[in-house]
Amino acid sequence: MSRIIEAEGLTKVYNGKVKAVDHISFSVDEGEVFGFLGPNGAGKTTTIKMLNTLARITEGRASVAGHDVSRSPGAVRDSIGVVPQELTADDELSGLENMILMARLHHIDGGAARRKSSELLSLVELDDAARRKVRTYSGGMRRRLQLVMGLLHEPKVLFLDEPTLGLDVQTRSKMWEYIKGLNKDRGLTVFMTTHYLEEADSLCDQIAIIDHGTIKISGSPAQLKETVGGDIVTLTLSDGAEDLTNFFEGIEGVKEVTRTDSVYRIKLPKTEKALPAIVEGLVRKQLQIKEISFTKPTLDQVFLEVTGKSMRDEEAPQSDSGWENIRMQRASGN
Amino acid sequence: MIGETLALTSRALRKWVHNPAAVLPGFFIALFYVALLGSSFNPTKVVPPGTPPQIANSILSQTFGGAPTYITFLTPGVICIILVFNMAFGGIDLVLDRQLGYLGTLLTAPIPRSAIYLSGVFQNLAKVMLLAVLTFLVALAIPNGLQLPGTFNVLDFFGVFLAFGLLGLGLSYIFTALALSVRSIDSLVAIVNFLTLPMTFTSNTFFPLDVFPDWLKSIAELNPITKANEAARLLVINGGLSSAQTTTFLWDIVYLAAFAVALGILGHLAARRALRPE
Repeated sequence: MSRIIEAEGLTKVYNGKVKAVDHISFSVDEGEVFGFLGPNGAGKTTTIKMLNTLARITEGRASVAGHDVSRSPGAVRDSIGVVPQELTADDELSGLENMILMARLHHIDGGAARRKSSELLSLVELDDAARRKVRTYSGGMRRRLQLVMGLLHEPKVLFLDEPTLGLDVQTRSKMWEYIKGLNKDRGLTVFMTTHYLEEADSLCDQIAIIDHGTIKISGSPAQLKETVGGDIVTLTLSDGAEDLTNFFEGIEGVKEVTRTDSVYRIKLPKTEKALPAIVEGLVRKQLQIKEISFTKPTLDQVFLEVTGKSMRDEEAPQSDSGWENIRMQRASGN
Repeated sequence: MIGETLALTSRALRKWVHNPAAVLPGFFIALFYVALLGSSFNPTKVVPPGTPPQIANSILSQTFGGAPTYITFLTPGVICIILVFNMAFGGIDLVLDRQLGYLGTLLTAPIPRSAIYLSGVFQNLAKVMLLAVLTFLVALAIPNGLQLPGTFNVLDFFGVFLAFGLLGLGLSYIFTALALSVRSIDSLVAIVNFLTLPMTFTSNTFFPLDVFPDWLKSIAELNPITKANEAARLLVINGGLSSAQTTTFLWDIVYLAAFAVALGILGHLAARRALRPE
C-alpha cells in the first residue's frame, strides 16, 4: 500500500508565539481509516486545516495524494473531500440543490451533477428527502447530507471532522456504517477526528493521539490497547483470607497485582490463558471466590494514560462563540 | 472561474428568492425616505407669499436644480442611501458564511479565490440594484412624488441606472472585501457605521452643493455619491440633455467608472489577503 498522506515535522505557530502543532510526523496508507484523537485544543483541527490548505504550514512539510500541500494547494483541493464539523449545507435550499451547487463548484455540470447527486443521496438514504429544504432535516439527516456533499468529485481522501458530533447513539452507528461502506466499497481513505473513543475503536485502522501539539502515541487500536498492559482481573475473596499478593504474582503471565482489603486487581496480557491458573490455585487453597470479573483494556484507558485526561471529562468541543452553539443546536435538532 | 462565480452568485440569489420577505426592510426604508422625508419639505413655501411667479420659479430652480418637487430632487439621493447602507450591511451574510463554516467549505474546494470574492460582489450588487429600481418606481407612484419631464425616455432611465450601477459596483467591491476581512459581525457593524454617515453627509444627497459652505463643498465635489446624484438628477429633472449637460453627465460617468475600477483593484487585493490560509 502506498502512503497517501505524509507529514514530517509539521508545525504551526500562530502569531509567532502560540505553538498549536509541534513537529508532528505521521503517515496514512491508501485505503486506511485514520483516527486523530485528542483533547480540546490539542491541535487536531489545526492539523486538519494544514492538510486541507486552510492554514499555512509554519515548519515541516506535508503531502496529500502525492501533492505537496504548500506548493500545490490547488491539486490537493482537487483530490480531497472535506466534511467540516460545522453543518454548512444551506438551510434554504433542498438537499438536491445543495448537492448540485457543490458539484458545480467542483466543475461537474449538468446531467452528471444530477446523476451523481441522486446516487449519493440514495447511498445515505436521503432520496425521499432530496427535494425538501434542508431546514426541515433532522440533525442526523444533515450530517448524512454533509457526508455525501464531500464526495461528489470522487476524492481520494475524505477528511471528517467529528462526523457524529451531537448525534444520538442510533444515528451515530448508522453513520459508522456509511463511513465503513465508503471505505470498504470505494476504497476511500478516511482521515477523521472524533471525540467518541468507541467510534475510533470500531472504525479506525490506525489511530494517533495528539495532546499539546505533539503525537503521544500511534498505532492500530489493538496495539494501543496493548500498551495499557493488557486485561485486568478483579477478584473479591471472602473476608479474613491471608494476603495472596505474592501468590498471584507467582502465576505465569501476571504483570502487576494491587490489593485493597480482600479485593485484588490483577493486570495480565491475556486473561484467557492465566485465568484458569488463578482459579485453580484458589480452589487448591480452598478459598472462596465471592466475585470475579475481567475487563479488556479500552481506548479510554489509553487516552487517560497518555493525556492524563479522560475523554469523558472532555465531552463535546467547547466554544465560547454563540454561532458555535447555534451549529450544535442545528446538529442535535430534530 | 466564471462558472464558479455564477454558481455561487446564483446560490445566494436563490436563497434570497426563496425568502422574498428579505427585501421588505430595504423597501420600507426607501418608502419612508421618499414618502415622509421627501414630503416634509415643500420648497414652494420658502418663497414669500406675493412673490411674482417668475421670481419664485427662478428661486426654486436655483435651489433644487429646477426640480418641480423636493421628492424629484431627493429620489436619486435616496437611491444612493439605499446603495450605501444595503451594500455596507449586506456584508453581514458573508461574515455569517465565515462563522458558520460555509466559507471554509468553499476554501477547501478547487475554486479560484477571486470567484468567491466576485460572487460576493455580484450578489450584493444584484440585490441592491433591484431595491434601487423599486425605490425609483415607488417615488414615481407617490402623488406629488417624482415628476419626470415629458422628454424622459428609456435611454434616460438606463443613464440613471448606469450612474447608480457604477457607484454600486465600486461600493460592493469595497464593502465585500471588508466583510471578508473582518471576523465578527460586531466589528463589521462598527466600521460600517463609522463610514456610511460621513459618506452620505459629505454629498449632495439631501441638499444641492450650491448651499454648502465652501470647505464642505470642496470635499463633497470629490465624493462619488455626489457624481452619481448629479448624473441622475440631470436626467430626472431635464430629460433630453443639452450638449453642456451631456458633457457633465459623461464626465460623471467617467469619474464613477474610475471609482469602480480603483475600488475593484483595492478590493481584489484586500480579498486575496483575507482569503489566504490563516
